[in-house]
Amino acid sequence: MLSGETGIYILMAVVSLISTLAVYMAVVEKDLVKAVIYSALQSGLYTILYFLLLAPDIGLVYIPVAVGLIPGVLLILISKTERWEKE
Amino acid sequence: MEIINTYLLSVVLASLLANFVISLYAIFFKPHYIKKIIALTIFSDTANTFAIFIGYRRWINQNPSKVPVLTDLNPRAVEEFAKLAVDPLPQALVLTAIVIGLAVILFLVFLGWILYSHYKTLDMREIRRLRG
Amino acid sequence: MKTVEVVVLIILILALALLITVGFEHIMPSTAVRPPAEFYLYATYNPYKLREYTVMSPEAVTAIVWDFRGLDTLFETSVFYLALIAGLALTRRLLSERAEKPGHGLSLIVKTVTRITAPMIIVVGASIALHGHLTPGGGFQGGSVIAVLPMVIIVVFSVSFLIMRGFTTSKMIIMRSLGLFGIGLTAIALFLVSLIQGTHAYVFQNMIKPDAQTSMPIYIAGALISGTLWFFNLFEMFAVAAGFSIAFIVLMLARTLQVEER
Repeated sequence: MLSGETGIYILMAVVSLISTLAVYMAVVEKDLVKAVIYSALQSGLYTILYFLLLAPDIGLVYIPVAVGLIPGVLLILISKTERWEKE
Repeated sequence: MEIINTYLLSVVLASLLANFVISLYAIFFKPHYIKKIIALTIFSDTANTFAIFIGYRRWINQNPSKVPVLTDLNPRAVEEFAKLAVDPLPQALVLTAIVIGLAVILFLVFLGWILYSHYKTLDMREIRRLRG
Repeated sequence: MKTVEVVVLIILILALALLITVGFEHIMPSTAVRPPAEFYLYATYNPYKLREYTVMSPEAVTAIVWDFRGLDTLFETSVFYLALIAGLALTRRLLSERAEKPGHGLSLIVKTVTRITAPMIIVVGASIALHGHLTPGGGFQGGSVIAVLPMVIIVVFSVSFLIMRGFTTSKMIIMRSLGLFGIGLTAIALFLVSLIQGTHAYVFQNMIKPDAQTSMPIYIAGALISGTLWFFNLFEMFAVAAGFSIAFIVLMLARTLQVEER
């Protein structure tokens, strides 16, 4: 019943909806460590989207940069400054 | 059937627009410096995803589209490659854009450290009030 | 409270998608690509019909990044270098490069697993970088994968472990500058060769062009290397890995302004 093309598009739609959820949770959260983890989750979902959109070069850049290096640098900065966002 | 495919692609487009709007709101209205950096990361990544989404190619007559990498090197495969593969030009430009966004965010993190060691806080309302 | 907001968000997105489907059909992806993309796809490996415009590399994206639009990549590398130098110049006064007392790090299990997986990370990163003209990958991808290793070592062991082994900031700056120097040399290599020979060639040239007949070697000992692409990927991998290590070590070593003489 389902052709292959519709199956891939359904997967793309589900992944984008979950990524919007992750962005909303990252913006509303007051604990900054949890906000960084939600932003890394959103980057992982974007990588799945890049592979579904047939761009493996970009996915290979995005995985170490947005899931490993940027949260690492932000967590080092949080550990040297403050952790909670006030009010 | 075409309507269902177009509807699913426009769900992707609408959720990218929602990501744009939420992260732009967070850059302006959240007072903490590190929250602004996180929202800026999300904003630039959503812009790059939008550029790659434009370069996609739908299936023609139930033949799946291909990644822009040649696997056969005989002359006939080279002729058909240009009719089936996805656009490689947005991918090359987005590669450059990701590196430049990364450089800006690395510099902002260094700047955040200097700001903290000057004002002892990273709340932008406090810094505007002190303005030392 | 949060559940209500999430459900409202999802319903809003589905309604907006319905609006876009009905009204804006012409901005969706279609079944044809634009004409510049057709030329690049046709000319990326074509020794049969387009011998004077081809790049001889089966990978279209790497050919565009390092040969068709090579000047963009050159300036992007220099922008990254400038951001790193600016960050280093800002925190120059706050560095403490003395080898302090080494910290504890994490437990023994994590340290043993890190010792086993560290060579694997380097091998995977080098393989992604050096095969960049045949499979998806390239210099920047491989360099980022290798750059994860100093961050893992800083977290699991401690930053003094890295400095006492000899990976100081000065050595990383030297390695990065050597990588950038290699990129610059490869870019003008054909130009210098043809200046000595007396023929005509362009700066940043890779294969033969209609009015410049010198070319980099396509095959070395039977393996396809596509001219300058392999050398660019190698030097870019070194430059990127060293650059990220500098950023981590400097950020980890910075101390507050109060401790210094003020």
